[in-house]
Amino acid sequence: MKLLIVSRYDRSARAINTIIKYVRVGKALGHEVALFSDQIGDMPDVPTSRDPKAFDYVMFVVYETPDFPDLPYLAHLLDGMPRERRIIVDCTGRFNETIEVEHDFNHLDKLENHLGWEWIDGFSAVAETILQPTPTPLRADARGFLFHGFDPGAIERHYDSAEEAARSWSGKIDNSKQYGLVYVGNNWQRWSQMRSLLKAIEPIKQSVEPICLTGWAWDHRPAWAAELGIQGIDTDLAMLQQMGVELKGNISFDQVIPFISQGKFCPVIHRPLFNQLGIVTNRTFETFCSDTVPLLMLPVQMIESIYGPAARILAVGENVAGHIQDVLSRPALYWDAILKTRAYLADQHSFQRRFQELSAILAK
Amino acid sequence: MRIIFVMDQRIDRGSIQSISNYMRAGDELGHEFALYGLPDPRFPTIRFSRDVSAFDYVVFLIESSRRWMSGLRMPRLFAEVPRHRRAIVDADGMYNQVIASNNYDRNHSSEYIRAEWVAHYRVVADKIFQPTFTPREPDVRKLLFYGYNPAQQIAPESSPAKAHDILHVGHNWWRWRQISGELLPAIESVRSDLGKIAFIGSWWDTIPAGAAELGVEAAFGFDAEWLRRLRIQIEPAVRYTEVIAAMSTGRINIMTQRPLFRELRILTSKYFEIFSADTTPLVMLDPDHAEMVYGPAGRELALCNGIGAKLVDVLSQPKKFREIVEEVRVHLLKHHTYRNRVQELVAALED
Repeated sequence: MKLLIVSRYDRSARAINTIIKYVRVGKALGHEVALFSDQIGDMPDVPTSRDPKAFDYVMFVVYETPDFPDLPYLAHLLDGMPRERRIIVDCTGRFNETIEVEHDFNHLDKLENHLGWEWIDGFSAVAETILQPTPTPLRADARGFLFHGFDPGAIERHYDSAEEAARSWSGKIDNSKQYGLVYVGNNWQRWSQMRSLLKAIEPIKQSVEPICLTGWAWDHRPAWAAELGIQGIDTDLAMLQQMGVELKGNISFDQVIPFISQGKFCPVIHRPLFNQLGIVTNRTFETFCSDTVPLLMLPVQMIESIYGPAARILAVGENVAGHIQDVLSRPALYWDAILKTRAYLADQHSFQRRFQELSAILAK
Repeated sequence: MRIIFVMDQRIDRGSIQSISNYMRAGDELGHEFALYGLPDPRFPTIRFSRDVSAFDYVVFLIESSRRWMSGLRMPRLFAEVPRHRRAIVDADGMYNQVIASNNYDRNHSSEYIRAEWVAHYRVVADKIFQPTFTPREPDVRKLLFYGYNPAQQIAPESSPAKAHDILHVGHNWWRWRQISGELLPAIESVRSDLGKIAFIGSWWDTIPAGAAELGVEAAFGFDAEWLRRLRIQIEPAVRYTEVIAAMSTGRINIMTQRPLFRELRILTSKYFEIFSADTTPLVMLDPDHAEMVYGPAGRELALCNGIGAKLVDVLSQPKKFREIVEEVRVHLLKHHTYRNRVQELVAALED
């Protein structure tokens, strides 16, 4: 398959890690995958093309309107590839009626200047096939395709047994972990959950110190968010300072796994909208590549359907502090679950598998 | 003919007033106009439609931003309407060489950005129109586009009470240099002879978030202390449905224009709606341009020299200036009604 991927490429945001996996894994599987772009300066080894006619399919990976290219490039794409061979991966549930969950939403006119119907009309005009990274799309004309995947080759540190992993993680082999808890992700529709997590661990803070949040806007609420009254991008700098939380800016996608591996714990948090729609993200899978204990703060049903039965024990539940203390006291039990979950992910959610699923969808 | 406009519509700025007038005048002449979108109660005079394929032509009304012509919005329009049935009204003169008026106002910040705009326009439409008597680019056609609607005129007997001697209705977007360099010194020199003064519009006392990031902070210059000292009230922007009534609360309305528009002699809605208000319009244009638009009487209303004395003169001789304004209205009725504009647009699209 010759696949041309269209999106906005940012080394520290959206689907860049998944897209690069498609390029590399696709090549290993005998596919040709390129990005619709001129040569990308900081990714010189990534193949690019401006010629849609040289490909079998064009796959738009869409989070926001700027993920569609500007004119005249968009016109070249539309002219150069028939609609039935264009696909959209709708990463944020845009191709739905307008949905609000807590302070989260899939459409917001005042922010993006597009009403809900335009997302439906626009997607339908661009592509015949709309894919959503959820097992359960709401619309009959959208198809479930998880898109993101797990790359066993990216696992930071392999262990032969849970006991070995637990010894290493506990610092009995070496003591290389810089942080107790880390999180990598931009502060967009995540603050309420992060705040709950931090509040919950405050009584046992000494067990998970130091804490580090990495990503955009953990240290400030942007002026435009305040002006537009958007709550999903809030923060509380005083609280973070009082808890001694270290804040860092964006890091490049290829630094995420090593960085998370510097923390004993790493929460897996999805936006409220994603929890409702069952949407997965790159981090859903990538966190399991790091040498850390994932704290799964996701709906139980999603945990079981994505991660398999062994991951149940990694669900944080209501008693966050109790869960963390239990991991600290019985790490082998949890590492056993992590290793089994990695195996499950490698079997069920590898990028090779994604390519097979995508090929099957396109063949129909 | 059936024509659908596509634009970034706002209730208190831009060209929405003219779109409303195209619909009314089009109905009278047997042409159907609509605006792309769903019915929106904020725009009570606008007919909306999403069914672009039911129209003969799509006319994009483009001002100084094209972000709204997003990759999400455009594919449907491209898929349903071929390029030869698409046209652009280039309202802000973006389809020109790079123009930097007095190294202050500009259409593009660089040649690179200009090239992007040109490429964009060429994909979008076959025909490009500009609301000026004298387009500069050979492939641009003159289409004045904006016009006068006599039915919107507010008669003195039904006009709201005059709350201000002088009003300026408009947003502070590249206007400060003209305001601070010409108008405010003139007002200062005769302030004791003038009653209440107000500026109605956005950004006379604040710079919008993001202006610095976009490199357009200079477009929003203001001096709050000077305005306060001159006892100039700042009032919020009004909806397009209320703008003529708002203007009618002033004995004098002053029209300013951003330097780029003055240089390109671009017309706007305000050129004409100010004459629908029950007021004496004074336009900060050179007299030749004022005459070109408004006829010979327009020269009397051009505010370019001796501004302070002129303001006092207009306030002290209301009858004389009412007659001048009436003379201009006769000219507008003959040359610039929306019935004229609809016919011109239809002819230009068919050409």
